[in-house]
Amino acid sequence: MPLDTSTYSLALLRVDGRRWNELRRVHAQIRTQAAADGSSYLEMGHTKVMCVVTGPSEPGPRRGGVGGGGAGAGGGGGAGGQGKEAEVVVSIVIAGFSSVDRKRRGRGDKRTLEMQSTVANALAASLHTHLFPHSQISISLHVLSQDGSLLAALINAATLACVDAGIPMTDYVVACTAGSTSTYAANDESADPLLDLNHQEEQELPGLTVATLGESDRVAVLVCESRVQVSRLEGMLAVGVDGCKQMREILDRVVREKGRRMIQEGTVEKGIGLNEMDVD
Amino acid sequence: MPREVEPSLNERQFVLQALQENLRLDGRELDQYRPLELNFGEEYGVADVTLGKTRVLAKATAEVTVPYTDRPLDGIFTIATELSPMTSPSFEVNRATETEVLLSRLLEKTVRRSGALDTESLCLVAGQKCWSVRVDVHVLSHDGNLIDAACFAVVAALRHFRKPDTSMDAGVLTVYTPAEREPVPLSWLHSPFCVTWSFFGEDGEFAVLDATWLEEQVRVGSCTVSLNKHGEICQIAKLGGTPVDAVSLLQCTSVALTKVKEFSELMDRRLTEDLKRRDKGGFMAQLKADNDR
Repeated sequence: MPLDTSTYSLALLRVDGRRWNELRRVHAQIRTQAAADGSSYLEMGHTKVMCVVTGPSEPGPRRGGVGGGGAGAGGGGGAGGQGKEAEVVVSIVIAGFSSVDRKRRGRGDKRTLEMQSTVANALAASLHTHLFPHSQISISLHVLSQDGSLLAALINAATLACVDAGIPMTDYVVACTAGSTSTYAANDESADPLLDLNHQEEQELPGLTVATLGESDRVAVLVCESRVQVSRLEGMLAVGVDGCKQMREILDRVVREKGRRMIQEGTVEKGIGLNEMDVD
Repeated sequence: MPREVEPSLNERQFVLQALQENLRLDGRELDQYRPLELNFGEEYGVADVTLGKTRVLAKATAEVTVPYTDRPLDGIFTIATELSPMTSPSFEVNRATETEVLLSRLLEKTVRRSGALDTESLCLVAGQKCWSVRVDVHVLSHDGNLIDAACFAVVAALRHFRKPDTSMDAGVLTVYTPAEREPVPLSWLHSPFCVTWSFFGEDGEFAVLDATWLEEQVRVGSCTVSLNKHGEICQIAKLGGTPVDAVSLLQCTSVALTKVKEFSELMDRRLTEDLKRRDKGGFMAQLKADNDR
């Protein structure tokens, strides 16, 4: 069913009642799996993703095929984690019940493989992989529900899980999507940018996924899969980068809240550096 | 699986140091392509693209098949990429490497998803018969920037390709041989081209076009922009790597647009040249028995 955007110009409200610069409700949790080295659960609207991180650990026997991207930064991330830097391996499982039509996707699906390599390469550049030579960080992502902005949710969940696993990193890698209000064919020069597309909007409107390094303007991932005029890119990118900043705030709050709770519960000792954190 | 030979530390440092001083090993400007050559084969739909030492061959073919049940009004269009051990020892037969998956996804997004080929025009009888157009990409020699060369080759092959003419008469589908009727070109809507930027330096502050294989091995990130000459983005892919300033990405896109216009001109010129070469002066000239002697 085509998305009806004709009313947008009247009330400036989108199909789900959001304004152009509003994110959907983001709910995130870390340390959801007690047994894992690091784990997280993230909801962006109805997109729900779980992530488990194992490692840095000794690399297991080399699995065949395209497990995910090697450590990208600086090169040298060799096969089987034998290099000077830890290898980041990502595997994404999209549950059959995650979308409306139950589509069977094998492991060899190219779209999934591309997302795996994107998440791996984005994180490898921000994780301090050089601290763990000859080892492997394996990130396993499970998609429970899909409603647009899937890649962004995967990147955010992976970042949170890496924080939980205690792997040193430069900053959060945060992602969100941005779009444009009118379709490509409308050739509308005055189209407004939109933040955080849901599935319906993603189907109809041009959009892109942006991931930045923390609050900086530096873009780690930029993926645009739809046809759009060059002139609209700047607005969409600006809105996307701004959304990433909001997303970082949210994720940071989740991590701090969890840390505070763990100190209160006595799970961890209150460290020396934590004095300025207002625990009581 | 033999591993790719990595450049030595000295080599790596030499390339990077030179780039810091805005120099490249082959003396090009940072935003200059290697000489791009396009040749067509004797058959329709064969394009041979040479970009420096990188060489890619694309061949388009068409056959009549049954359309997919969920898309009865659309023809089938596939792009198959093959990286054989001939290209580099690290590529194995029948085992897709990451490079290959990313390359085929990129071509798919650039050419297929952007609607460059009108698949509805490939439909012959709704739900029963349609054309299946397939482009096979063979990488003959890999010296960096496979993506741009492969995309150029695919677009060239498809624009050069002619499929047999058909007619429907009282429910009977006839496919004519080239001798009976002149083959017809595909209904082509726009020509997208890929431009790949490679980033070097600590913060990816040096953006370089058309990296060679050595440069590709030492880069910290890359970004592929697909555009057509009308200034429409068909796809952007910066899949990880060192984060790069958003403003410089925008600049990269606008420079890419000028490059795409050059590509587009080159392809148009080569296509008209090829058309002229094939044109023997019409039907009457072909029927003439006397020769130039």
